[in-house]
Amino acid sequence: MNDPLFSQLSTLGSSIVLLFGIILLWRKSLHAYIDAFRWQSVVLSVMLLITGTFSNDHELYAVALFLFILKAVVIPHYLERMEKRFGDHRELQPYVNVASSLILSGMLVLLAYVITRPLVLISDLPTRSGIPLAMGLIFVGLFVLVTRKKAISQIVGFLVMENGIALLALLGTYGTPIIVELGVFLDVLLGFLVMQVFVYHIQTTFESIEVDQMNELKH
Amino acid sequence: MNAYLLEIGQALLALLLAPGLVGFVRWLKARLQNRRGAPVWLPYFELRKLFGKEVVMSNNASWLFRVAPYIVFTSALAVTFLIPLLAAPLPFDNVGDLLVVVYLLLLGTFFLALAGLDPGTAFGGMGSSREMTVAALSEPTIALAIFGLALGAGSTNLGRIVTATLANPGVAISPGHLMAFAALFIVSLAETGRLPVDNPSTHLELTMIHEAMILEYSGRYLALIEWASWLKLVIFFTLLANLFIPWGLAATLTPVALAVAVLTLILKLVLLGLIVAVVETRIAKLRLFRVPELLGMSFVLALLAVTSSFLLK
Amino acid sequence: MMQTLFLIMVSAYCLGALVALSGGRGSLGRGLVALGAVIGAGAGFALAANVILSGTPFTLSVPDLLPLAGGLALRLDPLGAFFLIIIGLGAIPSSIYGAGYSEVYEDGSASLRLLGLALNLFLLTMSLVTFADNVLTFLLMWEGMSLTSYFLVMTESREAGTVRAGIWYLAMTHIGLALLMGGFIVLMNGGSGAFSDLRTSAASLSAASRSLVFLLTFLGFGSKAGIVPLHIWLPMAHPAAPSHVSALMSGVMIKMGIYGILRVALDLLGGGPVWWGGIILGVGSVSALLGVLYALMEHDLKRLLAYHSVENIGIILIGIGAGMIFHTYGMMTLAALGFIGGLYHTINHASFKSLLFLGAGSVLHATHTRNMEELGGLIKNMPWTALFFLIGSAAISALPPLNGFASEWLVFQSLLGGFNLPVPEVALLMPVAVGMLALTSGLAAACFVKAFGITFLALPRSEAAEHAHESPLSMQVGMGILALACIGLGLAPFAVVRLIGGVITGLGGLPDTRAAFTFNLHLQTPGAFGQMSSPLVFLGLLILLGLTPLIMRLLRVNWQLRRGDTWGCGRVGQTARMEYTATSFAEPLRRIFAELYRPSRDVTIDFHPDSKYFVQSIEYRSEITPLFERWLYDPILRLIRFTARQVRKLQAGSLYLYLAYIIIILIILLLAARWF
Repeated sequence: MNDPLFSQLSTLGSSIVLLFGIILLWRKSLHAYIDAFRWQSVVLSVMLLITGTFSNDHELYAVALFLFILKAVVIPHYLERMEKRFGDHRELQPYVNVASSLILSGMLVLLAYVITRPLVLISDLPTRSGIPLAMGLIFVGLFVLVTRKKAISQIVGFLVMENGIALLALLGTYGTPIIVELGVFLDVLLGFLVMQVFVYHIQTTFESIEVDQMNELKH
Repeated sequence: MNAYLLEIGQALLALLLAPGLVGFVRWLKARLQNRRGAPVWLPYFELRKLFGKEVVMSNNASWLFRVAPYIVFTSALAVTFLIPLLAAPLPFDNVGDLLVVVYLLLLGTFFLALAGLDPGTAFGGMGSSREMTVAALSEPTIALAIFGLALGAGSTNLGRIVTATLANPGVAISPGHLMAFAALFIVSLAETGRLPVDNPSTHLELTMIHEAMILEYSGRYLALIEWASWLKLVIFFTLLANLFIPWGLAATLTPVALAVAVLTLILKLVLLGLIVAVVETRIAKLRLFRVPELLGMSFVLALLAVTSSFLLK
Repeated sequence: MMQTLFLIMVSAYCLGALVALSGGRGSLGRGLVALGAVIGAGAGFALAANVILSGTPFTLSVPDLLPLAGGLALRLDPLGAFFLIIIGLGAIPSSIYGAGYSEVYEDGSASLRLLGLALNLFLLTMSLVTFADNVLTFLLMWEGMSLTSYFLVMTESREAGTVRAGIWYLAMTHIGLALLMGGFIVLMNGGSGAFSDLRTSAASLSAASRSLVFLLTFLGFGSKAGIVPLHIWLPMAHPAAPSHVSALMSGVMIKMGIYGILRVALDLLGGGPVWWGGIILGVGSVSALLGVLYALMEHDLKRLLAYHSVENIGIILIGIGAGMIFHTYGMMTLAALGFIGGLYHTINHASFKSLLFLGAGSVLHATHTRNMEELGGLIKNMPWTALFFLIGSAAISALPPLNGFASEWLVFQSLLGGFNLPVPEVALLMPVAVGMLALTSGLAAACFVKAFGITFLALPRSEAAEHAHESPLSMQVGMGILALACIGLGLAPFAVVRLIGGVITGLGGLPDTRAAFTFNLHLQTPGAFGQMSSPLVFLGLLILLGLTPLIMRLLRVNWQLRRGDTWGCGRVGQTARMEYTATSFAEPLRRIFAELYRPSRDVTIDFHPDSKYFVQSIEYRSEITPLFERWLYDPILRLIRFTARQVRKLQAGSLYLYLAYIIIILIILLLAARWF
C-alpha cells in the first residue's frame, strides 16, 4: 500500500491533470478547451484505475469506467455539438489576458500548497503529495469560470473544477463509496444539462454566447 | 591531465557535431514534409563557403560590429567546456555552474543584439528588439528550472546534478523533474530560435527574429555567428538530455566508457532532433505577441516543478 | 594613524569648500575644489580600509560640541567603514570628472561657488553619517546630507523642471526624515540615544514597538533608497542634477538608505520576526521589477538610469531580505550569504551606476541632449566614452565576468538556499523571488541593449549627435577608474566576499561565517551549493577570444573586408530616419506589459487632399500612465490642496475675526482644563 511507486505515480498523475487545467488557460479556441477537458478526464480515469489496482478496490474500476464514459465521451460530445452550432469558436478577449492568467494560476497553485500544508503534514497517505495539486485544480477551474466570457468556456471551467473535486476525493479517500460517487456524477450531468439549456436560451435571446451580454438584463 | 584533454575534446566534439545536428533536423523536417531535403552535411559546406568569402561591411558599422561575432562565438564555445557532454563530473565544474552557463549565453545574445543595431537598418533593430524581448522573458523559466534541478541535487553545480540523478534514478520520473524538463524544452525552442517562436529558415521581414539581427553579416563573421547559434542548439539539447536523463555519461575516463558516451550523446541529440522536427512540422509559428503566453506557460510549468520538488523534500 | 586620516578627511573637504567659497572658477579653482574632494574621499577610503582590515573600530567623541542629547559621537565600525569605502569609490572618480564637467557652468549658467561648496559639504556629511554613533549625530548628518544634495540638485535651477524636481526631492526626503525621527524616538523610549545603549535597550522593547520602529525606519530609509512606491523623486531629481552629482546621488547616496536599514533592523534591533525579512524581500522584488519595467519605457538617458537605480536597490534588498529571513530562523551561514550578496551588489552598483551616469554626462556634455531619440552613432566620435559606457552596461546587465554578475549570482545562491527553511509558506517566497529577479535581469539586459545601441551605435539622429566630440581627459579618467573598478570587483569575488564576510560578522549576532565559504580562484558558497570562478571564466574567454582568430588565420580563412552600403531592399541612400528608435525598440515589451503601462496612443495622419494614398505627415504620440503618480500621489496632493483651501477660509484677513479666534481658543482651553 505504501508503495513508493504508487506515490510517484499518483503525484505524476495529479500533476498531469492539473497541467491540463492550466493548458486551458493558455488556449483560445473553444475546441481546444473541450479537448483539454477530455484528456484531463481520461487521465483522471486512468488514475482511478491505478488507485484501484494498488488499493485492491475493484469498485474503483467501475467508477473509472463511468467517469470515462461520462466525462471523456458524453459531455465532450455534447459540448462539441454546442460549439459547432454556435460557431463562435474563440475565446478572444477574456477578462484577464492569457499571460497574466498563467502567472495568476501559478500563484493560485502556490496558495493551494500553503492552504493544504497542514493536511498534507498530518496525513500518512501515499497519495498526499497530490492533494495540493487537486486543490490547485479546483482554484484554476474557478478562475476559468470567473475570467472567461463565453458560456461554453465557463461550462468547461465548471467541469474542470468538478474534476478537481473528484481528484481530491480520490487522493484523500481513494474514492468515496460507489453510490455517492455515482450520485455526484448524476449531479454533474444534471448541472451540465441545465447549463446547456441556459446556453441555448442565451443564444436565442442575445444572439451570442458572450456572457457579457447579460448586462443588458439590467435595463 | 586526461580530464583536461577530455574538456578540450568535448568542446571540439560539440563544434563538430553542431552543423551536423542542424543539418539532420533540416533534413528530417524536409522528409516529414514530403520533400527530398538537402543532405545532412550541407551545413559543413555552408561553413566552408562562408569562411572562404570576403566580408562586406556596412559603412555605418563600428568596431563593435567586428568584435561581436567573436564574442558570440567564444561565449558559446566557453559554455561547451562547462556542460557535461561526455562525462561528469568534469574538472571545470567548479569554474561555472548552471547560472554561469545561462549568463554566458546571455553575454552572446547581448552583443549580437548590439551588433544588430549597429548598421542602422530597421531590420537589425527589429531583430534585436525581438530577440532581447524573448531572451528576457525566458530568463525566469530558466532560473526556476535551475532552482528545481538544484533542489534535487542540493547544488547548482552541473556535475553534482548529474551524479545526484544517477545515484537516485527515481528522481528522473518525478513530476518536478518532468515539468522542469518540459519548461526547459519550451525555453530551449525560444532561445535557439526554433518554431514556434522564430522560424530559422524564414526571410520574411515581419516574422524574422534571429535572421533579422544578422542580416548585415557576411563572410567569416556570418560563419562564426551561424556556428555559434548551431552550437547553442547542441548546448541546450545536451542540457536537456544529460541533466534530466544522464545515463550514458562516462563516469570513468576509459576509452570504452567514452565511446559509449559519444554514442549515447549522438543518440540523444538525434532523438531530440526528431522531437523538434516533428514539433516544427506539426505547428505553425506563433504570432510574436503570443510568444509571451507560451513563455508564461513554461514559467508556470517551472514554478510547479519547483513547488513539487519542495514537496518531495 | 586613524586619527590623522580622519583629520585629513575632514579638513580636505572643508578646504575644498573654502576654495569654492572664494570663487572656485577657472581650471585652477575647479581643480582645487575637486582636489579637496578627492583627498577627502581618499582619506576616508584609507581610513575605512584600515578599519575593515584591522577589525578595530575608530572612535572619536566630542561630547562638548553639542551637549544636548549626548553630543557628537563618532565611531566607525566595519559596517560603516564598508559604506565609507563605497563613498570613496564613487566620490574620487566623480570629483575628478566634475573638475572637467563643471566647465560648462563657467558662463554663469549656474553658480560654481555653490556647486563646489555644496559638493564638498555633501561628501563630508555623507561620510559622517557612516561615523554616527548616536541618534542625534546620525539625524544631524543625515539632514545635512539631504540639504546639501538638495542644493546640488538645484544647480541648474534655470532649466525647466529642476525646481519641480527639487521640491519633490525636498518633500520626499523630509517625509523620510519625519518617519526616521518617529522611529528613533520609539526606539530610544525616553532613554539614551547612543547606539551602544540602544542595542541593549532594544531587547526590552515590546514586540509591537520593535515592529513599529522597524516599519517607520524602513519606510524612512526606503524613501532615501528609492523603494517602490517611494521612488518617484529619483527619476526627477537625479537627471536634474549635474551628471557627476547624479552619479554620486544614484551611485552612493541612495546606498545610505541601505546602510540605515541594516544598521537599525539588523544591528540595533538585532533582527525580528520573519515578516520583517518578508517585507524587505517583497518590496525588493517589486522595486526591482517595476524599476526596470519603467526604465524600459524611458527615452531620457538619465531618467532611464535613475529608474535602474530603483531596480538595483530592489536587487540589493532581495539579498538583504533573504538574509533577514534566514537570520530569523537562526540559519546564520545562509543569512550571511544573503547579506553578502546584497552588500556586494551595493558596492557593484555604486561602481557601474556612477560610471553610467558619468557616461551619460559625457554624452550630455557633447550633444546637449539627454533624449535618446536624438542621439546615435556616438561610438565613432566618442570612442572612449562608448567603451566605458559599454563596460558599465555589460556590468549592470549582470554579464560575466563583470561585477554585476558576481553579486547577482550570490543573491541567486542565497535564494536557492531557501528550500532549507522549515516553514514552507516562507520558503515558497524564494522561488517567486527567483523568478522576479531573473526576469529583472533579463529585462535589464534588454534595456541596456537599447540604451547603448540607440545612443552610441548606428547613424546619428540629430545635428548635435553628428558633431559630438570626445570629453576632456579629466572626465575620461573619472570614467576609466570606475570601469576598472567594475572589472576588478568582478574578477575578485573571493576577496570581496571575504571582506564583506568580516564586515557583517557580529551584526545582530551573526557569527563569523567566512570559514563556510571556500575562497581561492573559485568561490564556493556554504554547503558547496554553488561554485563559480569569474577569474577563470574571464581567462577562458580571453584565451578562446585570442585563439579563434588565430586558428582562423592558420586555416587560411578569407580575411578580406570590403566596405559597402547597408542593404536596404534596393533603395538608395540611408538616413537616420530609417533606423529603429528607442520607442520602437521597447514596443514589444510595452505591448506585453500593457496591463501595467496602460499606454495611450494618438495617431494623426494628414492625407494629401487629392488622394488618401499619399500621406503628408503622420504624428504619433504615445504615453504610458505613470501608475504611482496617478493612483497614489495625485490623490494625496489633491487632499492636501483641498485641506489647504479649507484652511484658507479661516484666513479672511479681518482683524476682528482673528481676535474672535483667540477668544474661542481661550474658552476651549479653559473648558478643557476644567474637565481633564
